[in-house]
Amino acid sequence: MTVTPTAMRRLMREIAELQTNPPEGIRVVAGEDNMLDVTGIIQGPEGTPYAGGYFRVKFNFTEEFPAAPPKCRFLSKIFHPNVSSAGEICVNTLKKDWNSSYGIGHILVTVKCLLIYPNPESALDEEAGKLLLEDYESYCARARLITSVHCTPKTRPPEFDTPSAESQPVASGSGSTLTTTSAAASSATAPVPNLVASSSTKSLPGTTPSFTHPLKSSASNTLTTSSSSMSDKSTTKERLTSPSPLGPADSNVAAANPVDPAANLGKAAKRGAGNVPAGMEKRKKALKRL
Amino acid sequence: MAATNLASAMDVDEAAIDEGLYSRQLYVLGHEAMKRMAASNVLIVGLKGLGVEIAKNVILAGVKSVTVYDPEPVEIADLSTQFFLRQEDVGKSRAEAAAPRLAELNAYVPVRNLGGQPGQEITVELIKGFQAVVLCGASLSKQVEINDWTHANGVHFIAAETRGLFGSVFNDFGPKFTCVDPTGEQPLTGMIVSVDKDSEGLVTCLDETRHGLEDGDFVTFTEVQGMTELNGCEPRKISVKGPYTFNIGDTSNLGDYIRGGIFTQVKMPKIIEFKSLRQSLKEPEFFVTDFAKFDRPATLHAGFQALAEFKAQQQRNPRPRNAEDAAQVVSLAKKIDPEADEKVLAELSYQATGDVSPIVAVIGGFVAQEVLKACSAKFHPMVQNMYFDSLESLPSALPTEADCQPIGSRYDGQIAVFGRSFQEKIGNHRQFLVGSGAIGCEMLKNWSMMGLASGPKGKIHVTDLDTIEKSNLNRQFLFRSKDLGQFKAVVAAAAVAAMNPDLVGKIDSKQDPVGPETENVYDQDFFDGIDGVTNALDNVKARLYMDQRCVFYLKPLLESGTLGTKGNTQVIIPHLTESYSSSQDPPEKETPSCTVKNFPNAIQHTIEWSRSEFDNLFVKPLQAVNAYLTEPNYLESNLKYSGQQKEQVEQIVSFLVSDKPLTFEECIIWARLQFEEKYNNSIRQLLFSLPKDAVASNGQPFWSGPKRAPEPLTFDSNDSTHLAYIIAAANLHAFNYGLRGETNPAVFKKVADSVLVPEFTPRSGVKVQINENEPVQNDASAASDGDDWTDLAKKLPSPSSMPGYRLNPVEFEKDDDSNHHIDFITAASNLRAMNYNITIADRHTTKQIAGKIIPAIATTTSLVTGLVCLELYKVIDGKNTLEEYKNGFVNLALPFFGFSEPIAAKKSKYGETDWTLWDRFEFKNDPTLREFVDFFRNQHKLDVSMVSQGVSMLWSSFVGKKKSEERLPMKFSKLVEHVSKKPVPSHTKHLIVEIMASDEEGEDVEVPFIVVRI
Repeated sequence: MTVTPTAMRRLMREIAELQTNPPEGIRVVAGEDNMLDVTGIIQGPEGTPYAGGYFRVKFNFTEEFPAAPPKCRFLSKIFHPNVSSAGEICVNTLKKDWNSSYGIGHILVTVKCLLIYPNPESALDEEAGKLLLEDYESYCARARLITSVHCTPKTRPPEFDTPSAESQPVASGSGSTLTTTSAAASSATAPVPNLVASSSTKSLPGTTPSFTHPLKSSASNTLTTSSSSMSDKSTTKERLTSPSPLGPADSNVAAANPVDPAANLGKAAKRGAGNVPAGMEKRKKALKRL
Repeated sequence: MAATNLASAMDVDEAAIDEGLYSRQLYVLGHEAMKRMAASNVLIVGLKGLGVEIAKNVILAGVKSVTVYDPEPVEIADLSTQFFLRQEDVGKSRAEAAAPRLAELNAYVPVRNLGGQPGQEITVELIKGFQAVVLCGASLSKQVEINDWTHANGVHFIAAETRGLFGSVFNDFGPKFTCVDPTGEQPLTGMIVSVDKDSEGLVTCLDETRHGLEDGDFVTFTEVQGMTELNGCEPRKISVKGPYTFNIGDTSNLGDYIRGGIFTQVKMPKIIEFKSLRQSLKEPEFFVTDFAKFDRPATLHAGFQALAEFKAQQQRNPRPRNAEDAAQVVSLAKKIDPEADEKVLAELSYQATGDVSPIVAVIGGFVAQEVLKACSAKFHPMVQNMYFDSLESLPSALPTEADCQPIGSRYDGQIAVFGRSFQEKIGNHRQFLVGSGAIGCEMLKNWSMMGLASGPKGKIHVTDLDTIEKSNLNRQFLFRSKDLGQFKAVVAAAAVAAMNPDLVGKIDSKQDPVGPETENVYDQDFFDGIDGVTNALDNVKARLYMDQRCVFYLKPLLESGTLGTKGNTQVIIPHLTESYSSSQDPPEKETPSCTVKNFPNAIQHTIEWSRSEFDNLFVKPLQAVNAYLTEPNYLESNLKYSGQQKEQVEQIVSFLVSDKPLTFEECIIWARLQFEEKYNNSIRQLLFSLPKDAVASNGQPFWSGPKRAPEPLTFDSNDSTHLAYIIAAANLHAFNYGLRGETNPAVFKKVADSVLVPEFTPRSGVKVQINENEPVQNDASAASDGDDWTDLAKKLPSPSSMPGYRLNPVEFEKDDDSNHHIDFITAASNLRAMNYNITIADRHTTKQIAGKIIPAIATTTSLVTGLVCLELYKVIDGKNTLEEYKNGFVNLALPFFGFSEPIAAKKSKYGETDWTLWDRFEFKNDPTLREFVDFFRNQHKLDVSMVSQGVSMLWSSFVGKKKSEERLPMKFSKLVEHVSKKPVPSHTKHLIVEIMASDEEGEDVEVPFIVVRI
């Protein structure tokens, strides 16, 4: 596996940044002898059935990176509608919505968000999808069980000994001054942007939400930074591939601003961690109503 | 299409198309167009370089017959571009000498020589009976005479000529020519979510997918619910309202739209009215080839007529770089067009006797495609006068008149334009041609005509690891059937050395592919021995690699590629332009895996699925079995980290022990059970989990929009697709086990119908991902399946008990029609398409998508290669400003030419130093890491925070004190070995190192790469 020198340079920078200032609940391991041997570790988000687990995601870069996305799959067993038994992940970020400005951090944050907001509509594991749609409690129980058996180590992985970027002030020294990735680090410490989870009823074109649903509200999170009116299709829709919940798995975790994924990295992580408890409650209610 | 048993009933004109030969071109033109071509007789008059280039491309493409006419004797100067003439042919009739060589190009296309006597021009009588007539270099009066007749008699007419770096083409396909497919693009299609019932019915696409339609396009619909009148409706003309919406006119009297629907573009024929040549001389309609030269067509329209007039008056052409003749041509042209540009006219006159291979290739490739358009009605013809030039290719120091005089050599046509001293430069040039396929063959042909490397210092290196295959013969014109299986680079080199014996011993053929593994072959010495690199590659990976090498060794790189009728060229010049990898086209987006796995809605999705099904059934399990049998402790070591131990062990047990077939009959049974599993059981399982009436989280039906609810298939041995699947799958399975295959359908039918298929019961939800042998309980032991593969593994025989035993994984080969590979993929894809009610695709279409076949045709290759060589003149001249170079983009289907200046190398800055990708730091004598870090601190005030080489991270400031102390004193060669845990190969003389660094303010700065000599 080789990548171009330019891509290598970029990866090197990002890995260094992710290792010195990792985002909340995410760590990156790269081989010293082979920096392309990248594994991400995602801490199961609190308030989800994955809490307590540590999930490993393996990256495979091709020579076309970053024009083409890396191939990513779960090494850890996980019960999740958007992850197949072989670990494949169904997320548009890794396929048709790939943007060459995305990096490792963006992907891991996207996958982490997918743990918080699974999307049964684009199920790879249709039985997990079915369970999520029909019986949320059983889904949680099942996911929790798999998590506890396969992904909950006796001790925390040593990578998590390094504090997250969020929990430490922005270092003024070595790595944090990097042009692109520093944005992630600094924005993560910045106040959480005004996420409009509450505005989930803002009408989406082609759909008429009749009730507040966590999947829906998460989808509308993608609209947070777009101030333009939804009726202006040519501008807003451009970046919103699939606002409908029928859309692909990451419609609910798509970058608020795809142009600057790094900045979003921090925000999304924050959102993921911060919004969960309330979201979980709402989701349970909503799913019961189904 | 080979309807063998029907052959006698078919029209003799409609011979079967040899798909093996025409495979790549069929993906450009399609069967319909090729059938029309197979009914067309083409006449080419004038068989100098341009005529033979056109004839070559038309013959390769495959028409009913090609007839050539040129009774004039061969002159030595003809050899400047006529690659099918040799020194010993001088004095013979051109057509007589070249026709037999043309005839070798394609056994399906008879090549006839119309005969004639020297001095005898073509006549109207002689052109009767042809569907297309091409005049190359005929006198203008003759052109008009012939065209008067063709215009009146429904014969397609093209006149073309080249003069040095100038070319002209005129098309007249008759007063009413019907073009059936003006773009050659696939009809657009997409899913819709609404149609307004209105006098201006607005259609909205699903999920903000761009429809890509243009005003005036036509569409029809399928699967619309509610407004069902739209399904299969007559094509409706649309107007575009936005990227996701379009208008289809009045829908007010139709039903109410409910949901669903797919629009499909319908290609409408276009009628084109051509003017005669007589009329076009007065009222030309210019086709612009370079918008930076927008007034040039008018000047050249007058100029070419002036040359004709000059010839008529003086019975000779203007002499090379002769001012007196040029003045006359200018004044003749000014009478036709007072606005014409005198400088350009003078150049045209100077080069009137010039004949250069790259221009001939450009015009010849272009005209050949126009001939095919005339014969097939496929793609939009050029309307109507085209003028092309590449004056920029002239040397910066213009040659003198004396320098351009003919010297009785085969290069006289090129000397007339560039002069003798530049000819010498061309002769002593040294190029490395990477690839000897389609572009490579054309490139070598042009180079041999140009006399590249014919001088004492000249050298051509060509490499290609491939051997010649049948599908190559359709456009890689240096290869013949007798060469099948031989190395491309060897055969191509020999072929062009025969075309120009000056190249004998000047071409070095290799088979080593370029890549990190061959850096001992293509090393410093090798690059020191060349002046530039020309890529003739078919993949991005090798292009990126060569780009990187050329940047490192500071060599100019000429890059090009084709895709069907589209082509592009790029010039990369050290310290001037950006490099190939600086701006890359985004690769095609992949389909999300859930779409492929559970929710296909297009045939591409089912083909992608069946392609991986092929690997999962006939390749991977067999490889795993072989790995188990050969690699010590395979289960323990290799599977440990896969996260899939149990599944993999199960698979090995199944393929090696429990389900191993002993007879072919068992293979049929296996195939039948596969059918049941894949096209019935798993569909029923999916519908069990997600029933057809399932409701999504938004209250909408789950199975709607892009998600199509599947239906299980019930096996029926009378269904040809069902049976085709069984036949292909059983044969491939048999291959895996070294069992003899079978093709008699009756055998398959009999066995398949007798198979007892176990009753299917869907698994209930909670059991998913749980060991099926365990009771279904929500406790930890039930979910824990990570350990019990050791029990399973006990079923396996020990590798030592089966010495030498191997299974045969299939190696996917798309071009062998008897190996069942594409048959399987087609059947599997179509069965799945039937599950999901997706329109199935034929074998040919499936083969292209599954085999990722890039459509290709000789015309585009010829043209693109010509454009590259026009840039090569500039490289040889050593031009060093951006404005002098051109990157090209063409699409012969439309047709379209576009040129742009190369993009400048991006400037970056550290401290006060500007730098580009072409700059680097250099260290000699294998410094230690400490010396290295100190150098940047002391000399450049840069604080190094990370050092890497290749994929290894050699050192970083946060690596820890212990590691730092260990590594800082190490010399680089040692450090690299230490970290990469691999020895540095002995041929490696330098390492390319990257660093991250910050300046005195602590700001991160980008710096050039670093070369460390070791």
